[in-house]
Formats: sequence, C-alpha cells, structure tokens
Amino acid sequence: MKEKGKTLPKRTPGGTAFKHARAYRGVYLMATPVLVAALIFYYLPMFGIRYAFFTYKGINDPIFVGMKHFVKMFSMPGFWKAFSNTLVLSITKLILNTGAAVIISVLLNELIFLKLKKVFQTIVYIPHFMSWVVAASIFSMILSPTSAGLVNDVLMKLHLITDNIYFLGDQKWWRFSYYIINVWKDTGWGTIIFMATLAGISPELYEAASMDGANRFQKMIYITLPALNNTIVTVLVLNLAKVMNLFESVFVLQNDAVIKVSDVLQTYIYTQTFNSGAIPDYGYTTAVGMFSSIISCILVLVCNRVSHKTRGRGIV
Amino acid sequence: MVKKKLLSVALVAVTVCSMIFTGCGSSAENTGNDTGKTDSDAQAGNTAGDVADVADDVEKPEKITIMVDGTFQATLADGQEEWVNKWEELTGIELEVIQPDHNAYYDVLGQTFASGPENWPDVVILGSSYYSGYAGEGALWDMTDAWNNSELKKNPNTDVSVVEGNMLDGHLYGLALGGGGGCMTFLRKQWLDNCGLDIPTTYEEYLEMLDAFSNGDPDGDGINGNTIGVSAAGFVGNEAPYTNYLPEFYQDAYPSFYQGEDGVWRDGFTEDSMKEAIKRLQDAYNKGYIDKESLTNATSNCRTKFMEGEFGAFTYWAGGWSDQLSDGLAANGQDSELVFMPPIAEVGKYWQRCAPVYAITSSCKNPEGVFKYFLESIFDDGDMETLWIYGVEGVHWSRQAETVCGNTYQDGEFHMMEMRSQPGVQYTTIIMGDTNICPLTERLVPVKKYTEESMEIFNANNKTAPLPVTTDMMSQYNGDLTSLKNSIIADCVVQGVSVEEGYKRFEQEGGAEWSQAIVDSLNNK
Repeated sequence: MKEKGKTLPKRTPGGTAFKHARAYRGVYLMATPVLVAALIFYYLPMFGIRYAFFTYKGINDPIFVGMKHFVKMFSMPGFWKAFSNTLVLSITKLILNTGAAVIISVLLNELIFLKLKKVFQTIVYIPHFMSWVVAASIFSMILSPTSAGLVNDVLMKLHLITDNIYFLGDQKWWRFSYYIINVWKDTGWGTIIFMATLAGISPELYEAASMDGANRFQKMIYITLPALNNTIVTVLVLNLAKVMNLFESVFVLQNDAVIKVSDVLQTYIYTQTFNSGAIPDYGYTTAVGMFSSIISCILVLVCNRVSHKTRGRGIV
Repeated sequence: MVKKKLLSVALVAVTVCSMIFTGCGSSAENTGNDTGKTDSDAQAGNTAGDVADVADDVEKPEKITIMVDGTFQATLADGQEEWVNKWEELTGIELEVIQPDHNAYYDVLGQTFASGPENWPDVVILGSSYYSGYAGEGALWDMTDAWNNSELKKNPNTDVSVVEGNMLDGHLYGLALGGGGGCMTFLRKQWLDNCGLDIPTTYEEYLEMLDAFSNGDPDGDGINGNTIGVSAAGFVGNEAPYTNYLPEFYQDAYPSFYQGEDGVWRDGFTEDSMKEAIKRLQDAYNKGYIDKESLTNATSNCRTKFMEGEFGAFTYWAGGWSDQLSDGLAANGQDSELVFMPPIAEVGKYWQRCAPVYAITSSCKNPEGVFKYFLESIFDDGDMETLWIYGVEGVHWSRQAETVCGNTYQDGEFHMMEMRSQPGVQYTTIIMGDTNICPLTERLVPVKKYTEESMEIFNANNKTAPLPVTTDMMSQYNGDLTSLKNSIIADCVVQGVSVEEGYKRFEQEGGAEWSQAIVDSLNNK
C-alpha cells in the first residue's frame, strides 16, 4: 500500500500516529465498514449477557435477580448431565474424527492412480455437504430396529444377534451410533488439511527410503506419519476450542429414551426455551449460555498455551 | 495522545449508535393501527361495503398488521397477495401479513415481543401453550367486553363454548376461529374382517385386536406376524393434551398439570393412573403390539407406514385426514376401507386440543376496531367468510367448467383449484376450516365420506383438553420437569426400566420437588 514516490512516515512513540493514519487513510477507510460491522454484529449483542443476572421473559422489563440463575443452574442435575455429555461427546468425536481423517488421508495418499484417488476423495467428501436432518433420516432407516433396518437385517442374517437392536433408542448404543454417523459425515472433509500436508512432503525422502530398502509400510510409518504430526496437533488444538458448540448433530438424533446420554448444553438451552410449556425465562438460558462461553474461552486459552508449547506459536 | 484515543473511540461510538438508531427508528408508525376513520368515513370510502356496513362508535382502523404461522395457508406461494387484496377490497382497510417460517414462528414471535411494544403486530396467532403465558404477561388485550357485546356471540349459530373455552379466570384474550381438533382411532376394515373381529369397545378387546394384527395375518399375505398393531409418533406429545396419539393406553391418565373438578391443581404424572398407563404401554411394547420405532417416528413416518399397510390401528386427526389416509392406502394398492373406533369404555372420550386463537396485542391502538373489523367480520356468512375458508375466486376456487387434478366440474359448480405450491393437489380450505365457530349457512364444498363420518363420531365423543396455565415457577422448572417425565416414560417403555424405578428416579432427580412447587404456585395463583 506504499504510495508511489512517497516515503511513508514511520510510526514512532513520539506522536506521528496521526501522520501514519493519514498516510494509510485508504487502508483505514476500507477497514472501517468491517470494524463497524464487527462492533454491531459481534460486540453489541454481547450486552445481552446482562440478562443472565435478570429475570426476563421478553415482554415486561427485566428484573434484577443477581446470581439466582447461576445458583439454580448449578443445582440442576439436568445441567450437569448436559455439561458432562457435551465434553464426552465432543472430545470423543474430535479424537475419532481426527484419527479417521488421518488414516483415510494416508490410505488415499498411497493410491497410485490419480483418477481413482480423486473419485475416492469425492466420495468421502460428499456426506459433509448433506444436512444433518437428511443424515439423521438416512441413518434412522439404516439403523431401524425392524427387519427394514439394513444393519439389523445383516446382523440377524449373520446370526450375530437374536433380537433387533434399537441403535438410536437404546442408551447403550446411542453414543456408539452417534460417533459412527459423525465419522461417516465429517471424516472426508477433515482429510483435506492432511492431504495438503502430505502433498508437501518431499518425494526425495521417499526415494531415499526406497534406496535404503524401505517398503511402503515402513515409508508410511517413518516418513508420512511423522510429517503429519504437527498438523494433527494443530487440528486437535484448533477444534478443542470448539467443543462446547455441539447442537445440530445431537438435536436431530436424540429422543426421550436417550436424553440421559445425549443431552448437551445447547440442546439443554433449547429444551429450557421451547419445551417449558410456558414463556421461557431468557435470563436462565442466557446464564447457561454464558457458562458455556466461559468454558469455551478457557479452552481457547488452554489450547493457545498448548499450541505455544507444541508448535512454538499460539492460535490467538 | 489520550485525548486522541478518546476522540477516536467517541467517533466510532457515535457512528455505531447513529447506524443502530437509524435502523431502529420509526417503527411506531409501521404498526399502522392508527385510527381516524369512523364508520361513516368507512362507508363513504368503501363501496363494496360488505363489512363496513356497521354503525356504532367503534372507529375503523386504517391499517392492521398481523403475524401468523403456517396455519394461515394463504402463504406467499399460495396466493397471499391476492387474498390480502380481496380482504382490503372488502374492508377498505390496509392489511399487512407477517408470516415467518412455521417451525420458527414462536421464536420470531418471542423476538418481536422482546423488541418492544412499538414493534408488536396488532394481531397474533397463539397456540394453547403460549396463550396463557402471553396473557399473563399483559401482552394481550382483554377482549371479554368486546366479545360479550359482539353480534357474533349473539348469533345463535355461533359455538360460544369453543370461544369461551379459552377464558382465563373469566377473561378472554383470544378468539378461536374453530375447535382445536383432536385424534381418534382409525382401523383397517379389511384387517378386522380377516381376523374375524368387531370394532373393539373395551381395552381387553382392543388388546385382542392388536394381538391379532401383530401376530396373525390381518393383511392376508399368508405370513403371520409381519404386521404391527399400532404405531405413533412418540409415546407422549409436546403440547396439550400430550396423550392423544395413544389414548387407549393412557385412558384417564394425564401427564401434566390439570385443575380438578374441585378447583385444585394437580400434576397428573404423580398420580397412580399415570403409573398404570406406563405399565400398559410397557406391556404392549414388550409384546410387540406397538411399533418398535414409535420413539423415533415422526408423524409423517406413521402416515406412510399406515398407508403402506404396515400397521392397522392408527390414532390420528379426525376429519380430512381420514379421507387422505384412505386415498393413500388406495394409492399404495391397499384396501382403502376404514372404520372409526368410538372411544373404548376405559377412555370414555377422546381429547379435543385447545384451539389456537387470534389475539390482539395490548399495544394495539384501536383494539375494539381490530376486534370488530378483523375478527368479528370474518363470520359474515358471506363474502368475507368465504374468503377465510375457501380463499380467492380464480386463485383458490372457481365455478368454471374445467378439470382439476383429474376431477371434472360443470359450469357453475363450486370447486377448489390446483395448489400453486403443490401441483397435482387441490386446495381444501385456505385459512379457516368450514366447520368453524359459526359456519356458512350454505356449505360450498360437499364433505367427503370419511371426513363426515369421523367428525360425527369425534364430535359426539370428545372433551376439551385442559388449557395450560403458566406461573413463574412453571417458567423456572417445567422445562427440566417435562424432559425428566418424558425420559422416564421412554425409559420404562423402551429400556425395560420398571415403573417403580422410573418413579424413584423422578424423586431422586428433583422431579417430585419441582412438580410440587409448580402445583403450589398454581393453587396459590
């Protein structure tokens, strides 16, 4: 952005900031709409957090209640169950999805025929573009506890089970089904970043390994996987900060029978808002949301610290 | 330096504030319920004069704004513009219709109320779960006097009981245009005949029928046990009366709060009748009489399964759905004959849902005018009522000689047209049903066979569900309580948990305490 023929003033502690701003006015002018939009759409709504300390039903003026909602929140078994479910489901999902993405990326990388590789890549990417509602409908049919359900039918024919399993309606099976559906849906998309890293590995390393007599498996173990290490940590660290944002995938797959193992903080907020049979107290749901945001902030800071330690630079 | 920083912050703040306030301004004018025209003005400016032909002190609004859900079927895709034009032509009043997505309706409505009274529409549709809540918060106009003094109430054809069923402590805050409707049990006649059974009249006979449907060969395909007795979308519903899809199992049990004949509020979930109901559901589920997928079924799955001949007893909405299900059976190559089961002895009466209402908000500047010119005017037994039931001529209905969706009509014969949003399907009714609180003297569309038959049985055998009432305690705890109750019912029926264990959990996880707190708040209201 350096203007032709001009020497831009250096920003010094002595007070040339105004000159600096004037010289870069084009840049600041272009940044202004973004700044204003960010203030309006990201920061102004944050004032809504104050309702966590009020009773507010959206009609009459809010009534200040101090920490009442937080006291209630911490005394509700449903809240703690939702909190623990959020962590368990999110973290397990993250580990499984990342692991599956690494394995598939490595396997795809081993494919020699480029066209075949692209076909497989496309096939594994497609589920990511499907909405969760559609995915839930498909798996409800596949996992149906009747003879119409593909999985039960196969298991019965193989004599592996004697009674159909209600995968989505049984607490013992729900989480397992949930993880499988998530891996199916999101693994392909997760491979993109790993495939990019693999593309950057110098072919000379493989050639040298071949000259040393390494077979394909050894090359995968000693060259490919170590090259992916840094990316794996980065992906895990970045996604760890998002573990509290779990809603859609759970919401479309949960039901009354599995609520104990499936209710997460976001679905808990939804239930409190729309399932109370009364006009909800937005103050309480705001308090739960605020708690979730605080945990997310803590996780971001922890991840930042971990990132500093492992990669030498932070994520924020 | 500090001054400069402060100045820059102040400038940004001013910019942001000016943008916000520019966007938020002038909404009061937009509500547009300004008054100003009297009846004489209205008559002068309204040559059609169908509705404006009234003379009293009520001022005629210039504009009315309404917020409606998907039950207002004159959607943008289905001729809303023409409908509004026709309404404006009949009344001489400007009408603005705000129609959010049906599934997000209460979300948008809540946001609208939260944005301040100056943004509230004049009229909103409210289901029973929200009606008493908004009334209790003072968001709705008390229309008791307007109703008591209305010509509509004095009309001998008006079903006053439906309207006054929505009174809260003697006050009316919303007008129901019709009954809330309800579910009754449809049976496949061919299946009954193949099993040599009559329509059940007791629970024992009902179970006998389900056993025959589940373990016998009701469809006559030579294979025993490849059909199911009954299916439902979930074991308990999420709006009053909650139990309407499986009434034979719930019988006299009610899983939520109700006011007894002695005027005392109780939580039906804590009563022995509910425990017995859960045992009945558990037993029938274990015996395979109830579809194993009921927990995860949507209503659309149930309809499809019924129409494809997977199960034989279906408790669904009385009225038009009976003919649609019969048509669906025929389309799937099934025998389409249905019979309607009057409530078995243990059920006594089917539940009629509390009717949704059209309510006037308390911020409306001329509520009397809106009541008279928007709500009461609907039931004129003429053009306006026809507009609300059948829509606009040439858009929704016609009298021209033509063939619509395979049906041929003579010149002058009243018939509904093909839906714009769903080619191949004819419109039925547009906004209000033809069996409303004050129906047209002369019905324009003949009622289909099963619709009439099912409504006859339902009308003779129903009771209205308790109107949900709300308190602060309910706002605080009913979300958790409802989740716990539903989870216990599902645990007992699907997971094999005993009813005793289920109720022990109810105690342990605070359900009993919350329930008592809500009951106390209702009784001390």
